[in-house]
Amino acid sequence: MRVTTMSRRWLLAVSACTVLVVVAGCSSSKKTSGTTSTPLAAVGSTSAASGGASTASASTASASTAGSSAAPADTSAIKIAVIDAQSGQSSSLGKWEYDGVKLAVDQANAAGGINGRKVELTVFDDQADPTVSTNLARKAVSGGFIAILGPAESADAIAMSPILQQAKIPYITSGQSPAMPKLGDPYLFLNSPTSTTYDTTLANYAVKTANFTHIAMITNNGAYGKGEHDAFTAALKALNVTPVTDQIVTPDQTDFSAALTSIRQKNPDALFIGAEEVESGLIVKQARGLGIKATIIGAAPTSTPIFVQTAGTANAEGAVSSTPYLTNDTNAQTKAFAAAYDAAYGTEPELHGAKAYDGAEIMLQALKTTNGAGGQALDDAIRAVKYQGLVGNFAFDATGVGVHETQIGIIKNGVLTAAS
Amino acid sequence: MQLFFQTLVGGIGFGAVYALVGMGFTIVYRTMGLVNFAHGQIAMIGAFLSATFFLDTKLPFAVAAIMSMAATAVVGLAIEGILRPLEARDFDLMLIGTLGFGVVLEAVATRIWGATGRAVPAPVDRPLQIFGIIIRTYDLVVIGVGAVATVAVWVLLNRTKAGAAMQAVAMDRDAATSVGIRVGRSNAMAFALGAGLAALAGSLAAPLLYVTPSLGSSLGIKGFCAAILGGFGNINGAVIGGLAFGILDGFAAGHFQQYSDTVTFLVFAVAIMVRPTGILGELTVNRA
Repeated sequence: MRVTTMSRRWLLAVSACTVLVVVAGCSSSKKTSGTTSTPLAAVGSTSAASGGASTASASTASASTAGSSAAPADTSAIKIAVIDAQSGQSSSLGKWEYDGVKLAVDQANAAGGINGRKVELTVFDDQADPTVSTNLARKAVSGGFIAILGPAESADAIAMSPILQQAKIPYITSGQSPAMPKLGDPYLFLNSPTSTTYDTTLANYAVKTANFTHIAMITNNGAYGKGEHDAFTAALKALNVTPVTDQIVTPDQTDFSAALTSIRQKNPDALFIGAEEVESGLIVKQARGLGIKATIIGAAPTSTPIFVQTAGTANAEGAVSSTPYLTNDTNAQTKAFAAAYDAAYGTEPELHGAKAYDGAEIMLQALKTTNGAGGQALDDAIRAVKYQGLVGNFAFDATGVGVHETQIGIIKNGVLTAAS
Repeated sequence: MQLFFQTLVGGIGFGAVYALVGMGFTIVYRTMGLVNFAHGQIAMIGAFLSATFFLDTKLPFAVAAIMSMAATAVVGLAIEGILRPLEARDFDLMLIGTLGFGVVLEAVATRIWGATGRAVPAPVDRPLQIFGIIIRTYDLVVIGVGAVATVAVWVLLNRTKAGAAMQAVAMDRDAATSVGIRVGRSNAMAFALGAGLAALAGSLAAPLLYVTPSLGSSLGIKGFCAAILGGFGNINGAVIGGLAFGILDGFAAGHFQQYSDTVTFLVFAVAIMVRPTGILGELTVNRA
């Protein structure tokens, strides 16, 4: 076997390139292998337009051109963009949001639309990547959209803010990072309470009601996780409690044995998780595998079915969640919503679908007030909306936050129930 | 102490996975002279298949893994068959072809199983307690299976006719043909063997991580680095390199939390600069 200089040099070059690519790739937020997923622009567009051909294709990068002209005529469609993660680990968030929004819009269109004009939704996949969502914001501006629903990821919402503010396009997002209201962007609205609200309620429950004394924390360093980390630490501090350990992981991480081993050593009775649904589920699964028996406490992600699924029903038992939307049976409004959602999609809704539905309803109400116009007028109309929603009573303040309280739920047999 | 041992066992567990991926790489390289850039994605397909057999068809974990290995070996055969015309003609094109196949496999996986991915519960999940140190039982299972697989591969290559044929083709393709070895068939077997090992690695890694279409890139890169670290082209080197890389990864994660990946690859880069031929020395294949 001859070892020639050529093949050796070639191999070294390949390995050096590989290492460089990997180190470069690992430092940025990695979303699948860069070669495969070029930002898919329009995943699909729903048009409830009665007369014209329905545009079911999803190929062009620009906005759907279903016969609507640039200047809103009397019967042309009102174009709203839904920008969310439709691929990758956060794709469940994007799907929930889209399903909730679409339900509201379909109901509105069936009832005659906005003073006779249909609302047309176009979906864009931002892959939970702020770079992609920034590009999509520009596409939305140039595509004639007057409003945006989404994104669900706080980092993406923050990235889009300067572009949308300049173009005067209001957007209602499902994220909850307190960094968003701090932006001071008058065009940004939240359909959810912020992490501060979630975590203050949670901390009060953990310390005063459940009497946990050793609380460990594990959060990721993405926008949502960081928001959760800061909010919960502050809430604990206000109660004079210090967490026994504070572990940081990354949003893409899938193996947590190092962090969990450190946590196990501190023998906590409660473990606070500040990460998205799937990651939270993985953390719980691995924690139980390492013999950590602490009660899991968290905000919105721990209330979702996908968290229970990922963690395993047995492992998720007893997890405590702070959420504004406990069950579908809370009142007549939630029951009606759940029935409609089930009829449309074949599954029961949960918090994310509910808040997306609320956000869409508020947008539709505001559009009725402005008669389909956008810009500053739409922005003012949204802020003026007082709406009794599924997740709470909306009254937007100057920073864009509409709901200011949450409740405590506990997972029993895989289902979220109100804490007694 | 507890932390050290737990990290060590976890690191060896992952090391076994990387060793399997690296071995698959190396076997294909040694016998066909081909660096298979789709290897990580083949591991990912194996992971998805075994997750489906385990979770949906409710087969026992071991049976699911074996079936997944068989199915993925067939996928490997298909890939080799499609790329074979290029091998005799232009080797670099075959290389690019595997890169393309990697992309295709990832897209196919997204289409079939969706983008969000699945969590696979470990078949044994009660933690063991040895001398007061808590060890994840499944880590030991992975290490055990990895060891058995390594021995089996060694036996196959060194004690069977088919294995001898593979090594003969690697040494000198024309001489092998002239003594009557069917090179095409031998190459196909080598590719299938590599794919099967990748699938085993993927199936074992599934309960440790999270099965998504992007699992392939991370497993592939780390397996590739493991093979290089141990000495590229050296099968024993792939095993040593895999274990070393896994332990390095485990300890970096323990000490550097969010920067663990950066540290791991930095140390790897320095190690390779210091000793470019890897721990056990490389055995490159001349494809003149």
